[in-house]
Amino acid sequence: MSKIILQVEGLHTVFFTRQGVVKAVDGVSFYVREGETFGIVGESGCGKTVTGLSILRLLPEPAGRIVGGKIILDGKNLLELSKKEMREYRGSMISMILQDPMTSLNPVYTIGDQIAESVRLHQNLKDDAVEKEVISALRLLKIPAPEMRLHDYPFQMSGGMRQRVVGAIAMSCHPRLLIADEPTTALDATIQAQYIALFKDVQRQTNVAIVFITHDFGVVAQMCHRVGVMYAGKIVETATTRELFKAPRHPYTSALINSVPRLDRKDNRLYSIEGQPPSMTDLPRGCRFFPRCSVARDVCREQEPGEVDIGGEHSVSCWRVS
Amino acid sequence: MADVLLEGRDLTKHYPISHGLLQRTVGWVRAVDGVSFTIERGKTLSLVGESGAGKTTTAKAVLLLERLTSGSILFEGKDLQRFSKSQLKTEYRPRVQAVQQNPWSSMNPRMRVRDIIAEPLVVNTRQSKKEVRSRVLELLAQVGIGADCAGHYPHEFSGGQRQRIAVARALALNPSLVVLDEPVSALDVSIRAQIMNLLKDLQAQYNLSYLVIAHNLATVRYMSHSVAIMYMGQIVEYGDAEELFERPLHPYTRALMSASLLTLPGDEDQGIKQIILSGEMPSPLNPPTGCRFHTRCIEARDVCSKVEPELIVKGKQRVRCHHVVYRRP
Repeated sequence: MSKIILQVEGLHTVFFTRQGVVKAVDGVSFYVREGETFGIVGESGCGKTVTGLSILRLLPEPAGRIVGGKIILDGKNLLELSKKEMREYRGSMISMILQDPMTSLNPVYTIGDQIAESVRLHQNLKDDAVEKEVISALRLLKIPAPEMRLHDYPFQMSGGMRQRVVGAIAMSCHPRLLIADEPTTALDATIQAQYIALFKDVQRQTNVAIVFITHDFGVVAQMCHRVGVMYAGKIVETATTRELFKAPRHPYTSALINSVPRLDRKDNRLYSIEGQPPSMTDLPRGCRFFPRCSVARDVCREQEPGEVDIGGEHSVSCWRVS
Repeated sequence: MADVLLEGRDLTKHYPISHGLLQRTVGWVRAVDGVSFTIERGKTLSLVGESGAGKTTTAKAVLLLERLTSGSILFEGKDLQRFSKSQLKTEYRPRVQAVQQNPWSSMNPRMRVRDIIAEPLVVNTRQSKKEVRSRVLELLAQVGIGADCAGHYPHEFSGGQRQRIAVARALALNPSLVVLDEPVSALDVSIRAQIMNLLKDLQAQYNLSYLVIAHNLATVRYMSHSVAIMYMGQIVEYGDAEELFERPLHPYTRALMSASLLTLPGDEDQGIKQIILSGEMPSPLNPPTGCRFHTRCIEARDVCSKVEPELIVKGKQRVRCHHVVYRRP
């Protein structure tokens, strides 16, 4: 087993709003090994993006704040770093890919300039060495004819190519950890398949650890080694991808998997989870999934279930399991 | 004999490309290029493809939001070109309604839900206020929204509820055909099944026909009776949904299916391999010669770059490919 590069322990992130304190991330723990992809899957508002932003310490302050927990990257707790130290970490140690490449790239600079920007910030290199780094980043992401394309502007590229450029910027300083927030959602199906295959290859070459945030179970299955399922600010189940799909233990996980139509069989009627996720300012007292759960018991209404390790890197927060 | 509600015959939409000082037309984008299909009463036809395939333009043509370059649309056997403007307004438009992809932009944020749903009735019928009000409540009940919410504004609802409201609005005039443009792709995973089930229930209850535009094949399989796969303005494969998904004939269909099949880590060791297409859809300004898919096709041969394949009948399917072979992806 490779070494654990990122360990998140009991992360609590809150937002102070006029409606009250929103506990967007409420005690989230997970780890990622070198060369591994850990998926965080959940619906909108479950706290998956905030978890990613918390690791990078890029929360919109002062409204958002990390109020508890540890984020240990390669032995160092990121929450104890000064702002200046954290800034040096971002880009060189941890980097990020966002959903829409059109908004993460600057339309008035060439892509070469944009990759060079992060290379210059983090590595003290001469101009021709910078260009070499830029070309090797483009090559890593398999952008054809990198020596030519680096003079292109984002509008001259297709959506899939742009997202590769975003990946090249993220990988340009050889980070140990990459946080990818819905990187394939804006792409077409066949281009999405290309991008996932490409990133698996990048990971094999660089041994980078990836936290992959998505709502799409199909992408999780293709990309991730292990997965955490988030619901209303908590990770309710963590397992290896295969185990999660073959033997989900949390009712929310199995309901979600059952409510997604499958291409390889004819479903006459889909299972549907009734109701909607709870409002984050008005959470149920016991288990957060209790109001929508089809197998809830009395204890679920009253008390929150703790996380139970059931072996084989599989843990669940549900009263039925403990 | 199938009961055909709407038929598209050789639909074509070419957009001019203007260039230079005089804005002269220097070329044409063939967004939709000879597309034919039939929608049966009470059944669902899905148009599937990636962005730029021409599926939205086709749907817009059916909704008369886009004027066709050529081709004809037959509604209950009658050619729409023979309809006068007023006939279209009374006999066609009310019977063909639409639900848009994004329920955050398809509704006026300043209107109350009851007014949003009532609007088609107010515009198209002469019902009294009382009749309209009772019809609105009936529609809300059908889509599973409480009558006490009728006075609320769209922002007070979640995405799933808004999509229900959009469905209620589309049903207000008792249409025969509803065009659903990516009806669930903007919704959360746990909500999608609710909306898809609702749409299926309403279809069974009112014998509705649906024209669905989608890119997610699994969703399409769940919703559709027949499917048309589009690539660069053309239908490359068309047929009964079950046949098509069990025996996809076109290499593009197989690649699309492979991209959306659930493959778990470890499956590769068991010989399940994904088809990953190289490259991207070529520019529609300058489509490839021969088969438009040949630049990305893993089975392409010489003939593919030279001769454009016709849409040929193969069993219950129609397919546009020189090498039609039976194989599972």
